[in-house]
Amino acid sequence: MNTRIAKEILLLYRGPIDDSDPQFRAALDYAKSDRELGQWLREQSECYGTIRAKLRAIEPPPDLAEKIVRGRPIPFLRGWSRVGQLAAAIVISVSATVLLMNWSERRSRAIAGAQEILVTGEVLDMTCYIASNLSGPEHAKCARICIRSGEPAGIKAQDGKVYLLTGEPGQSINAKLADYAAQVVTIKGKQSVRDGFAQLQVEEIRKL
Amino acid sequence: MSADLEFENLVRLYYRDLYRFGLSLTGSEADAADLTQETFYIWANKGHQLQNPASVKSWLFTTLHREFLKTCRRQNRFPSESIDERMEDLPNVPAECADRADSRTLLRILGEIAEDFRAPLVLYYMEDLSYKEIADVLALPLGTVQSRIARAKIQLLRRLSETNLSLEQAR
Repeated sequence: MNTRIAKEILLLYRGPIDDSDPQFRAALDYAKSDRELGQWLREQSECYGTIRAKLRAIEPPPDLAEKIVRGRPIPFLRGWSRVGQLAAAIVISVSATVLLMNWSERRSRAIAGAQEILVTGEVLDMTCYIASNLSGPEHAKCARICIRSGEPAGIKAQDGKVYLLTGEPGQSINAKLADYAAQVVTIKGKQSVRDGFAQLQVEEIRKL
Repeated sequence: MSADLEFENLVRLYYRDLYRFGLSLTGSEADAADLTQETFYIWANKGHQLQNPASVKSWLFTTLHREFLKTCRRQNRFPSESIDERMEDLPNVPAECADRADSRTLLRILGEIAEDFRAPLVLYYMEDLSYKEIADVLALPLGTVQSRIARAKIQLLRRLSETNLSLEQAR
């Protein structure tokens, strides 16, 4: 340590706030033994205090605090309650996905074990047929519109049995069936029956 | 404590220091008030993300400085001078070096120092933060901060001495 090095270090010394900072310790000790350096340190400390006091004498506009407090934006709901809501949404979403996948798997298994059959008969708009017993060429236009718009479609076999027509799980076949509304066709598909209700998963449609 | 009251207490505790820091950086009272206000509004929206409540003060200074830098990028307002990277000769500092300069003169002289050096120097004089905290606020290594403060301080003292001399000669 010499006077110049001590000065370079003590140029940054601010007083008590820096007393616990070990970088100043040796230089401060050195200043105690060097009279000239001690005097320099006192002057620089005094000058530091003056500049600091002048900076701290600056006052903000009198209404600034009020203005800030009054204009405080309303924060969005965040924090733990928000995190909790997000976590709940994720859990619900994952659960729903798992249930849907299980259901879809069960359905696929059921269809996989279903019997493949050929059914020949008239393509029906099931809503009008069941509710109003409407079918045949005079109802063709309405049936086409209903099937195209998503109403369930069916086929009435020559033996009088009616099947609900579906596509692959999750895929609508209505657009295709609408072209055959009220017409007689042969459909190859997988038959499945539950509670006396018959369904045919369409694989191929042939117009007679 | 309600969120409103907490916010109000925080404003009353720190708005003066933030305003002074902002004024030293911008040289404009209106801009300093805007920066202070913006800093607290950012706190209102993002303050909850702060994990250590003890570092609120550093967080506020950091945010104000960041907002200032954004403004600087949009408009280079201060005709500031860069400081030679080599350590200049240490000046002999007369005790009364800053006595004659009022706050306005001091701010003007600070405004002539390059922003990279001005920000650490102002935080140094405000004595609110340790060197480590100043380094965190400015996102700079500790050594860089101390080096910049030392160079900027020499520059400031030289200019204050020149100002004193001019005032004496004017008499």
